[in-house]
Amino acid sequence: MRQSKLVGTLAVLPSFVIVAGFMAFPVMFAFYISFTKTNGLTYDWRGLDNYIAIFSDPIVHQVFLNNFKFLISVPLVIFSALVCSILLFEQFKGWKFFRVIFFLPNVLSVAVIGLIFRNAFGYDGAVNQFLGLFGNEPMQFFIDSNYSILIIILALVWSGFGYQSLLLLAGLTSINPAVFEAAAIDGAGWWRRLWSITLPNIRKVLGFVFIINILYTFASLFGFVFVITAGGPGYETTTIDFLVYLRAFSSNNLGSGAALAVLLFFFIGLLTLLQNRVFKLQKDD
Amino acid sequence: MSDSISSRLTPRAKWPIFIGMCLVAATIIYPLFFVVVTSLRSNVDYKRDPFGLPVDWTVTNYIELWDEYGVGRAFLNSLFVSTSAVAVILILATLAGYALAKLPVFGSKFFTATFVSVMLLPGPVLIIPIYLVLARLGIVGDYSGLILVYVATGLPFAIFFLTLTFKAIPDELLEAARVDGAGFFRTLWSIVGPMGASGIATLAVLQFLGTWNELIFALILVPDAQMRLLTPTLATIGKRFVSDQPLTSAGLFISALVPLLLLTFASKYIMRGLQVGLSR
Repeated sequence: MRQSKLVGTLAVLPSFVIVAGFMAFPVMFAFYISFTKTNGLTYDWRGLDNYIAIFSDPIVHQVFLNNFKFLISVPLVIFSALVCSILLFEQFKGWKFFRVIFFLPNVLSVAVIGLIFRNAFGYDGAVNQFLGLFGNEPMQFFIDSNYSILIIILALVWSGFGYQSLLLLAGLTSINPAVFEAAAIDGAGWWRRLWSITLPNIRKVLGFVFIINILYTFASLFGFVFVITAGGPGYETTTIDFLVYLRAFSSNNLGSGAALAVLLFFFIGLLTLLQNRVFKLQKDD
Repeated sequence: MSDSISSRLTPRAKWPIFIGMCLVAATIIYPLFFVVVTSLRSNVDYKRDPFGLPVDWTVTNYIELWDEYGVGRAFLNSLFVSTSAVAVILILATLAGYALAKLPVFGSKFFTATFVSVMLLPGPVLIIPIYLVLARLGIVGDYSGLILVYVATGLPFAIFFLTLTFKAIPDELLEAARVDGAGFFRTLWSIVGPMGASGIATLAVLQFLGTWNELIFALILVPDAQMRLLTPTLATIGKRFVSDQPLTSAGLFISALVPLLLLTFASKYIMRGLQVGLSR
């Protein structure tokens, strides 16, 4: 028994060392860096200077606000995913094939998806060529911040709704079919059943999807921003994660970038806690 | 499902839904189709009639990317890095997953808690410290550093996933093997491996997609152009040749090819992974 306990521990150890060394330790290291001024070679302790600088930095304020603009994508993704999942749930002919199609954007890199949209809205891209068929002059979409944001949101919706409709579909499938039958026998129509059975029964999955979308807008837009707009025009489409990258590799103070990353870490942590609470509440009822 | 038919729509009412879903599917398929067609024509041909089929089909864009912009090399680099990372992840996660699922482990709660708590760590938090740690170890610009990062970021989910998979193996089987005198590796090789094969395959596909498509670490940890991986190469080509859409489209198709092939031939495994991802 003691022998096998040793074997078991030895089997977990290599993984633990790597995860601790290259995930857990870097996070703690990031905390340390955020209190220093550093170029990666020397570390000068500066206390809270980096944080104070961030809170009074107008660019950070603007970038934080930008992240909130990208939140427009959340209801759009969820609504399209919900409609698709409810329709897939009807299990019409070939619905399994549609599942694979809807999952397709998820296997592609954000760089690929981002460039498809960048190309499509480019000066001689498909959208301008299409508008040209009606005699419109080609537009420079990416010099306008509103268009730029809308294009990134469109990319988010395009790449996200399919996967999320599959998540919601999994939620729908786990509803006890007897509930639907009972309602049908009671004479409840399709819309009535949708409103009083289907939607209430998947509110837990809906809550989950809601939170992962919000987390995604705050921590995973880097790829899209990098290839579609590079944060421009100005800082109009720069998100926090992209700013961390910019600060890290274009300024001589990595400490400032690290402080921003730490703040993002706490913000995400807060949202995750919130998610856990929401889940707990729903387990109780 | 036949017993629940009464609560579903009639077959006639399903027709509009089918057509609507076809339209939605078209919004996914058409952009990809457009990319493929555009990649097979010259820029002049594209500008003349972008929505029609090409007058002359050509593969010159692919040849140009391959010969002049190092896409072929980048493709092989990516293949090497992704395969290595996935192989290491599978070996380590199988060991750890089996131990956590079936064996007594000192401080198993502590290990599990560590793996779970780093699983949802946002990537941006890691880029600066990981860059500095690897720079200190002198392995920035070296594949070993990048592979190590992919292994570290992939392992937590991999272990979680395989622990769940291996828990489903009946204890009696393992006990029988033990009575027969099979040791740790023998049991792993002849029982745990085969019994958990489909779970391991699912994990391999998911992790391969993840590393193949990864952008930010590949970008900052391998600055040398000769050693660039495919995804960052594509991102730079896409940004440089904004006015040559057929060329960038060819790059897009090369990058998307491997994931699309995986989806075509391993969709069973990918769809299974989706279910577990939800239960997390």
